[in-house]
Amino acid sequence: MPRVLRSFAEMAGLTRAKDFPTSGHNDRTMWRTAGLLALCAASPARALADDAGTLLTDDTWNYRSAGHLAVDGGLVVGFPAALPTGLSVGAGAGVTVGDALTWGARASWVTATESSLPWTVTQSDLRLRVTGGLQAHPGRGTIGLRLGLGGTMVHETRLRNQGMRAGLTGSELETSAFALLPAADLEAVVALHIAGPWLLTTSGGPSLDIHDGALHGGWTAELGVAWQP
Amino acid sequence: MAAVSRAALAALAVLAGGCGNVSGFGGSVPPLAAVHVQVTGDFASVQAPGPAAPKLAAALVWGAQWLTEPLCVVPTSDAQVQALIAAGCRDPFGFVPDRVAVNAPLGPDGTAELDLLDLPAADVMVGGVTARVAYASVVVYDDRDGDGTLTLGRSSRLGGLDNARPDDTGVQTSDVVYAASFASMTAPDVRLAYREGGFDRTAAFYPRAGCGDPLPRFSIVSAGGFSAMAAVAAELSGQLPPEDPASCQEQPADAPVTLAYRAPAPLHELACQERTLDSSIRYREPDAPIDLTRRSAACAPVPDFGTGQAAGMIQWVVSGRSDDSCVGLTHYVLRGCSNDPLCQPPEWDITKTPPSWWPCAAQASR
Repeated sequence: MPRVLRSFAEMAGLTRAKDFPTSGHNDRTMWRTAGLLALCAASPARALADDAGTLLTDDTWNYRSAGHLAVDGGLVVGFPAALPTGLSVGAGAGVTVGDALTWGARASWVTATESSLPWTVTQSDLRLRVTGGLQAHPGRGTIGLRLGLGGTMVHETRLRNQGMRAGLTGSELETSAFALLPAADLEAVVALHIAGPWLLTTSGGPSLDIHDGALHGGWTAELGVAWQP
Repeated sequence: MAAVSRAALAALAVLAGGCGNVSGFGGSVPPLAAVHVQVTGDFASVQAPGPAAPKLAAALVWGAQWLTEPLCVVPTSDAQVQALIAAGCRDPFGFVPDRVAVNAPLGPDGTAELDLLDLPAADVMVGGVTARVAYASVVVYDDRDGDGTLTLGRSSRLGGLDNARPDDTGVQTSDVVYAASFASMTAPDVRLAYREGGFDRTAAFYPRAGCGDPLPRFSIVSAGGFSAMAAVAAELSGQLPPEDPASCQEQPADAPVTLAYRAPAPLHELACQERTLDSSIRYREPDAPIDLTRRSAACAPVPDFGTGQAAGMIQWVVSGRSDDSCVGLTHYVLRGCSNDPLCQPPEWDITKTPPSWWPCAAQASR
């Protein structure tokens, strides 16, 4: 059993002892330092040059917002385009040009796997959109509304549950198919300038596609970073 | 330029309407196996009178692992016990249904296709996970209750004083079985087998000793059957009763299953489940006198297979009613426990004060 320490000085002495094991607290400090270094490396090199030897300066969190071009990418989640249930997860990227009025293009790839009694269905959606929108720049932030029109390419793999155990083969066991669905998204976009040309962005809103002649509603959301030179 | 515009317009039209054939969870579901059924014979010659025109259908029924009770197989010269066995015991070598897997209406040409959309559940398969098997019988029946499936009945059981058990009326079924591909191991049979992993040839689950192993996964297997005497002799020598290898077949699951119409009386137990799948007998403490109308009853020794444990103990056994859907027996003992008449200490012992109506000989208390 560890003994009870009687004073802070005694405890401090123990932590200085050569054989005192490295604590988790020291690991966390190291990771924090690494994170700060990574952020500083992402900020303009000028900031470091001006104050050599200082990790954080008054200029560290300065940002630029003069550019009318933004490139972003991040994690995308949403409702599958052609499945009645599930959560699609993947990655997306886009480019936006303009100031108050914007236009651009976006692409994302998401996938979802869901099951019913007879089927395990995996659908991968490749969403391609041409976008247009409005945005404002209050303070360090950017708030906007983005409409995307385009198509969603769906690749589907269906596996017959229990089919392998029953000895099914070929198309009785597994099938795959493609579909191209017209689609539209309406997203609210919020971006926050972090440092230099880097922004943290998030967006989300309803989506719509036409599948088997019927409207299929859903939603999509994205969390990522943007680069605005 | 005009051609490019037309192509662009066509592409736009395709995009606007969408294209492709993803199905999601929809569309037809391919069966895991399809059993082709062909019934032969003259139905009119075996038809039992019924309230309405027959609605013939075929069903695939997975079999249960079940052992008959000793009273039904131990030879006896007592005429009353013989009558009781005839009234209350099912065929000791018969197929015992566990679960109906699929039903299909029988066509006018006597054919039906049974599409299996699910594998047999683990509880109808016998063996370990590396070697297990399930067997099913194809049954043709008149769906008299019109519920679209073969309704499995269950025998009734009388109540007793122990724990104030009430009468269990069982489950009555009005469906009538007219043909079965696998009715008893003492007759030629054709069955659907589902085998996973290896095959245990020593397993006594509807054994086919001397025949080949069922094919992996689904297959149609058949055997010629063995006699009851051969089964008893094999049991006494610690073997499984042998089949004639010439009568055995193992075919893919798409091989047709042909069965013939028969009189329904010998087949009625194919629509009867057993209450306990561990084949244990339940004993009752006698209570009030029992109405024996349409029932058989007899006093019989409690079987102990020569161990002497029973020490001449007598049980009073009562069959179900003759108009019940399924046969069954209720056992009464003056001393014992609900699952063992030879238990120590007994849950009840009224050997010194038996009911005044107790029909069997008095027995000494222990």
